[in-house]
Amino acid sequence: MNEITRRAALGATLALPLAAPALKAQGLTRLRVSVIPVLDVAPLHAAIAQGYFREEGLEIDTSTTAGGATGLPGVVAGQFRIAFTNTVSALLGVREGLDFRFVAAAVRSQPNPPDTMAILVRKGSGITNGKGLEGKRVASNTRNNIVWLRGMAWIEKTGGDWRKVNAVEVPFPQMADALAGGQIDAGLFSEPFVTAALQTHGDKLERIGWFIQETAPNSSVAHYVAMKEDAERNPEIFERFARALAKGTDWVNARLGQPELLELISGFSRVPVARLKDCAFTVYVKQITEAEIAEVIATMTKFGLGGRYPAPDQLIFRTAKA
Amino acid sequence: MRRPTSGFWLVLALFLLWEVSARTGMVDSPNWPPFSQVLAALARDTLSGEIPLLVGSTLARMFAGLAAGTVVGVAVGLLFGASRLATRVLGPTVELVRPIPIPAIIPPLVLFLGLDNGMKITIAAVTAFFPVLTNTAQGLRAVEADQLAMARTFGVPAWRRLFLVTLPAILPYVMAGLRVALALALVTTVVAEMIAGEQGVGHYLVLMQFAGRAEEMYAAVLVLALLGYALNRGFLWLERRLIGWFFATGRDG
Repeated sequence: MNEITRRAALGATLALPLAAPALKAQGLTRLRVSVIPVLDVAPLHAAIAQGYFREEGLEIDTSTTAGGATGLPGVVAGQFRIAFTNTVSALLGVREGLDFRFVAAAVRSQPNPPDTMAILVRKGSGITNGKGLEGKRVASNTRNNIVWLRGMAWIEKTGGDWRKVNAVEVPFPQMADALAGGQIDAGLFSEPFVTAALQTHGDKLERIGWFIQETAPNSSVAHYVAMKEDAERNPEIFERFARALAKGTDWVNARLGQPELLELISGFSRVPVARLKDCAFTVYVKQITEAEIAEVIATMTKFGLGGRYPAPDQLIFRTAKA
Repeated sequence: MRRPTSGFWLVLALFLLWEVSARTGMVDSPNWPPFSQVLAALARDTLSGEIPLLVGSTLARMFAGLAAGTVVGVAVGLLFGASRLATRVLGPTVELVRPIPIPAIIPPLVLFLGLDNGMKITIAAVTAFFPVLTNTAQGLRAVEADQLAMARTFGVPAWRRLFLVTLPAILPYVMAGLRVALALALVTTVVAEMIAGEQGVGHYLVLMQFAGRAEEMYAAVLVLALLGYALNRGFLWLERRLIGWFFATGRDG
């Protein structure tokens, strides 16, 4: 073997392990997924970290939008193949003629307290139920989403008239200050903001209810959606996505309350682990039932978001069905 | 070294007020951390390399947009100067589009250009385009007719007149437009990052806000303040070097 061939052989041997992952990566299908940095997307990040998507030949590129609601419009525009979104917003899109399909399950509310969403008021305000909130300012992060809907349902259930409540929009990070400062009279909080508010403003604020769990235990909160056309044309991609995500859900469910899970969540949300320790979690699920979608549509209809909705059976793509 | 000016002392006093108001509970909120903790967070994320990387990516997008917007702005400005027809046809559109606040067009731009560099660079470019365009047009009107006539008399061809007479003459005006564009482009680039995608200082700021980490959020605000200040100072320095002759003649841009 002369010098040149020996060098070439050596070079090839060294390059091979480097080239192998690159070759493998070429075979991966890249999926862009819109997410929000909340506890609910832990299974997705777990599945990425554990390599479950890679095993299915998928490369997940998450795009986190903390503030704006670019998820669903991004799916319509083709910027994302999949978006994590609350069930109400997805259904409202469907009502407006956008062909969304639920392609994978994410989270449901807890059957028993504590739950991830809680309604907080100022201590000493004397407000304990929906009746006391009539004529008062109640904040949700956005109108006409799951937080708003369940908040209104809680007000109705606890003796108030939701139409007499002055609903305002305040982003989650500002809610505790707005409530403590008297700009609003009640806030519909989601974790980790519930824990943060009670830790930092514990002397001024108190929780008067878990508004989702008390009005709709085990109910639909948020899932992953895609466009119907895309799902029907490329079903195998969504099958692979749902399979890998389900493994991520199993990984998360096996580690609830454990440091390993808190580290993972802290990694993508940047919420300090010390705060996550005290947070209530949602129920991570792998399937979407027709009953849960029907329940959300019924509740939406009751609170002024009615309209012509397709049958729940049609809205759930087979990858998310039981 | 020069003695610190009184303005410098005011900045220090404000930082001190910040520290005291947070420590004594004058402002009682976790969203108002002491200044020293903000500095600590800034140092931590700067040393870890995270903030320098974010600043670099934000600046890269901003400058790419600025460059594109400036080139197109000067070109369209020259076209306006050269052709009455172009002014008549394009003028009203430009006047109609110019006052639209750039952040208002970010969501529709997401639809066409996505969430990444393409959209954000376009935003910076559109921001830079209008001030550069209007200043180029203004500069063209100020080019001395005698200079052009003289060049023509000496038989200097049109394209050389452009590079030897017109462009140097309008440079101070373009620079003035660019200085406005620079400040605005930093704002719009960061706003675009806050609204969409996972890039740059803007995204970091919103992520930290939602993570309840006020120290890091204010660290990002401080970074942006320093960045804006440094860009302006750097620009002034560049301006003096490039068009010192213009100021030497006693005019100002």
